Amino acid sequence: MIEFDELEKRMVLKLVYYGPALSGKTTNLLRLHDIIDREGRGELMVLDTKDDRTIFFDLLPFFFIAPSGLKIKVKVFTVPGQVRHDATRKAVLQRADGVVFIADSQTSEVFNNGSSFENLEKNLAFVGLDISRIPLVLQFNKRDLRDIVTEEEIRRVWEPAGIPLFMASALEGRGVVETFREIAGMVYEAMDRRFGLKENHGLDKESFLKRLTSGAAESLPFSGGSR
Amino acid sequence: MKDRMSHHLEYVVGAEKSLRELIGEEEVMPLLKGVVEAGASRAELTDGGDRMLWWFGVPPGDQSLTVTLPVLLEGETAGKVTLRGRASEEKIIRILSGMLAATITAMLRANLKRILTTETHTKVVNQSYEELLETNKRLRTSEARYKDLASSLEEKVRERTEELRAAHSRMLQQEKMASVGQLAAGVAHEINNPLSFLASNINTLGKYVARFREMLLFYRSASGGDDTLSQFRKEAGQKWESLRIDRIMADVGELIAQSLEGAERVGKIVSDLKGFSHIDDGEEMPVDINSEIDKTLRVASYEMPEGAEIARDFEPLPAFTCNPALLCQVFLNLILNAAQSRRGPLRLSISTEEHNGEIAVTFSDNGSGIPEEIRSRIFEPFFTTKEVGAGKGLGLTVAYEIVTAYHGTITVESEQGKGACFTIRLPSKKEK
Repeated sequence: MIEFDELEKRMVLKLVYYGPALSGKTTNLLRLHDIIDREGRGELMVLDTKDDRTIFFDLLPFFFIAPSGLKIKVKVFTVPGQVRHDATRKAVLQRADGVVFIADSQTSEVFNNGSSFENLEKNLAFVGLDISRIPLVLQFNKRDLRDIVTEEEIRRVWEPAGIPLFMASALEGRGVVETFREIAGMVYEAMDRRFGLKENHGLDKESFLKRLTSGAAESLPFSGGSR
Repeated sequence: MKDRMSHHLEYVVGAEKSLRELIGEEEVMPLLKGVVEAGASRAELTDGGDRMLWWFGVPPGDQSLTVTLPVLLEGETAGKVTLRGRASEEKIIRILSGMLAATITAMLRANLKRILTTETHTKVVNQSYEELLETNKRLRTSEARYKDLASSLEEKVRERTEELRAAHSRMLQQEKMASVGQLAAGVAHEINNPLSFLASNINTLGKYVARFREMLLFYRSASGGDDTLSQFRKEAGQKWESLRIDRIMADVGELIAQSLEGAERVGKIVSDLKGFSHIDDGEEMPVDINSEIDKTLRVASYEMPEGAEIARDFEPLPAFTCNPALLCQVFLNLILNAAQSRRGPLRLSISTEEHNGEIAVTFSDNGSGIPEEIRSRIFEPFFTTKEVGAGKGLGLTVAYEIVTAYHGTITVESEQGKGACFTIRLPSKKEK
């Protein structure tokens, strides 16, 4: 968590979209920005990119006020996927409240997914976060492409890990909101346990999610998360 | 983790920035002045907590119109712009306030973006630098470890080299003994011959002496007897006849001469061997190379095949200071090498000369020669073209090492099938 100030009644949360280069992290944020209403979200801030590849990060902020008056800001970040930008990934991952891992479904990317996930484990440990405890959601993106790993195979490999799994095509806007709702819900639960969001601030999970995804009609998911 | 990061920047990507941190007076004031010049009587900018930051224009009070709009930052109201003016100017004031709010929102966005970029860049650079320092430290450590390893490796190599050197010198010594052993066989044969006829001669001489004795004893006993002189003469003559004194007297001289000659031959072999082996002097001394070659040839002659022809063409040479036993070893090895490589009767010519401060000794044979592809290898230890067991392959190596030790060179010219010519060059004036 970036900030929690009881006196100022302010909570700033951080979600991070992680994953290998060109797996569609920025595209996920672009779609969220397009789908979700102007109300309550800030503008998508895309820091400098080079040839469509993120160098620093992208930031999509959300802001709303709970019934208790608690101001809640949720900042969604992407990290640069390229191996060389590891220092930036560490910086962005610092104090994250939840992580979405965007994997590339193409068969040619299986190895890159694996090494990026290993990199996530390593960097979470580096910034003092426990991968087994931090809310984590897995999205297999680019389901619209041909030559992709089958969903069956993906589930066989990843489901035993117990991480919520989503199939998506960020380009077509499918599975994007579902992924976001899942990670937001998990983060809500974690915050509710710590700060009593419902009890002390009158904010239940449904309204939390509604505020974050207002205007987003449930798009047709490729498949829902199981939890 | 806190400890680890505590010396880094406090900066956390995404940390909240207030309006005041993102924008300054020099950016806002010209805007406020601008809207006042354009028609508003007063323009204000307050922060998220409604605290007045900057204002321009007449004091508030008599204005009839007030327009307030939020300035947004990350979706949150980070502050407000307020424009006051006359009600009659409402339209322009509303337009101006909208423009002012949008401009400041855009400025905040742009400044936040710049600050985020700068801060992230700084953090990444710092962190990369720390990691580089860390890597550098690790590299230093491993470098030290490798240095350690390398120095102990040197020690190990030194030890092994010493062991090899010792083993090599043992091998050379054995090779020397082997060539001496080969010589010994020839020499033994050479000594055995005179010895066997010496033994046989001595045996015969013993029998002759027994007859002389008998003859002499007869003379002695008969001289004191009563027999008449004629009787004595007759009996003595008969005895002389029966003991065949005439014949053995004719033979005994030859026997003795032959035996003496045999003993001399043995004596000569012994002296050749002594001369060759320099048993009496193991130290360096000035020697005449020509005579050392002769000594070697004499000993080697016992090993020379039937019908060997050895031509000597020696020029007078200055004395060369060396251990003569070693030099003889070189000559012997070359001579034996020539004898072993022969096809048909051996023709070996040995010549010596001095030229330009160099003594050159050449051994030219009519053997099978040395094929070009192995010519560069013949001085290598254990290189041999002989059958397994026939030679260790160290003869030429020994020669090479001895000559090199005396600052000389040994080279070979050869044409396959036409013999080989070894040339030894030694400095006639010894260099210090």
